[in-house]
Amino acid sequence: MTTVLAPRSSDDESVEQAVARLLAEEYGTLAGPQVVMGVVQNARRELAGSPVGALPELVERLARYRLHTSVS
Amino acid sequence: MGYVDVAGVRFTLPDGRVLLEDVSFRVGDGACAALVGENGAGKTTLLRIISGDLTPDGGSVARTGGLGVMRQFIGSVRDDTTVQRFLIDLAPPAVREAWDAVEAAELAMMEGDDEPAQMAYANALGHWGDVGGYDVEVTWDTVTVAALGVPYDGCKYRELASLSGGEQKRLALECLLRGPDQVLLLDEPDNYLDVPGKRWLEERLIESRKTVLFVSHDRELLARVADRVVTVEGGGAWVHGGDFASYPAARTARHERMAELRKRWDEEHQRLVDLVRTMQQQAKNSPDMAARYHAMQTRLAKYEAAGPPPDRPPDQHVAMRLRGGRTGVRVLVAEQLELTGLMKPFDLEVDYGDRVAVLGSNGAGKSHFLRLLAGQDVAHTGGWRLGARVVPGFFAQTHAHPEWLDRSLVDLLWHGEPGRPGVDRGRAMATLRRYGLAPQGDQLFRSLSGGQQARFQVLLLELSGATLLLLDEPTDNLDVLSAESLEEALGAFDGTVVAVTHDRWFARTFDRFLVFGAGGQVYEAPEPVFDEARVQRTR
Repeated sequence: MTTVLAPRSSDDESVEQAVARLLAEEYGTLAGPQVVMGVVQNARRELAGSPVGALPELVERLARYRLHTSVS
Repeated sequence: MGYVDVAGVRFTLPDGRVLLEDVSFRVGDGACAALVGENGAGKTTLLRIISGDLTPDGGSVARTGGLGVMRQFIGSVRDDTTVQRFLIDLAPPAVREAWDAVEAAELAMMEGDDEPAQMAYANALGHWGDVGGYDVEVTWDTVTVAALGVPYDGCKYRELASLSGGEQKRLALECLLRGPDQVLLLDEPDNYLDVPGKRWLEERLIESRKTVLFVSHDRELLARVADRVVTVEGGGAWVHGGDFASYPAARTARHERMAELRKRWDEEHQRLVDLVRTMQQQAKNSPDMAARYHAMQTRLAKYEAAGPPPDRPPDQHVAMRLRGGRTGVRVLVAEQLELTGLMKPFDLEVDYGDRVAVLGSNGAGKSHFLRLLAGQDVAHTGGWRLGARVVPGFFAQTHAHPEWLDRSLVDLLWHGEPGRPGVDRGRAMATLRRYGLAPQGDQLFRSLSGGQQARFQVLLLELSGATLLLLDEPTDNLDVLSAESLEEALGAFDGTVVAVTHDRWFARTFDRFLVFGAGGQVYEAPEPVFDEARVQRTR
């Protein structure tokens, strides 16, 4: 069995920025830091292949939409 | 690497007339070919067929290397197109499609910011990156800085209509010359450019390694840039493989060769017809001759079926006869003349027979000066007067005659105007024929091409009996042959000529050069001066 080591998405600036901003909003208390981190990392994985310059905006938008849906 | 190969193209106008028949030529890799022909010969139609805007009735067009097209209307865009949209429309098709997809995804997100819309937007951005969209944006930044002196982000939402005609042309040319397309079709790229702008264009086209096919009436540009000349005439096209300097001789030689071939064909045809007639008589008297008679009939039929070689294209019949007349020695005297707010006071004396070119950048007051001499109301101080027997005749830029737009040419000639008596229909048509305008006699002035309007204005000058010609950019819209005809007519004109022009080739036929400088000073130069800076005025 071969294991492919993917780069840790948490190293990505787009993830760090999105997590920081979403935690500063109501999602930090409503969903909790672990859930926010997980949602953001998932969004980042699904958006792999998008232009690097656009990633911060795309990741944050998608994560915010998913958090908003789950919280409400 | 890019080339254009046009093979056997045929195109019919909506009214059934065949405009192009069996047009074939090739513009090879790295060539810079000029497309010339008289007004209305089909140059723009041919460019539109090559670019794929029009579908020919027959024949084919092959090309490689990506195609960039600059259309004729650029320079006169007056709608709400933005700089961004303009640059996108000049980009390769893949980039245009990717941009449209990004815009559509952005709009969809505004309507509903759900997960599918966001993923579609991410995909569209990914595709934009894949087709090189981000690199294209860097190029656009270089282009806007070069053409307008502003970064792309600072002008992308600016309306194109707020740019001058020269700026619009420069923007398009910078974009195409720096872009990835290896084949460029440029329809009158020099229109709206001042002389420094034209010189810049010449240098860029000479430096460029792209394959270029361009339409221009500027003989200086043609002479400096074109390494071959494609001529559209008589419904067909042919290629002169040399530069523009050797083109007139090559064209004359070709026409003579065509006339000779046609003459020989006609002579051989007549010989065969005569033979058939003789043998027909002989066959009546001698049955032995019947077989030979039928053989000769077959030979004649085959000869006629093969058809004659193409006849030489009809010469463009533009015969301008500006007669003039003897006037006093001193034709014009200006003393401390100043057009209010336009230039500083200056003195000028023009004598009978002088050919004075008025040069300088746009906005310097040259056209106002001519209008003043033509007797129009122009604010000024200082004095000026015309000499004995001087009758001014004014050729204005074509948009300066709104009162002519809805009248036919025959009507304008029939009624005359102050200083120009009317003429009957017969004489009007005869005069129109000399200017190649007989078919347009009953058309409205507004429906004529720019070149036809210019020719008609020269015709009116001829009829007015002017002895002092005041010409404002007379060659601007004239095709090469008409411009040469005007030069010949001016050469034979018995009188004085004062002309405003940016046409370097035309200006060299003059013997005095009055320059309206950028700083408002007016001075006479021994040689043509074309690099006066643009006049800056607070508006």
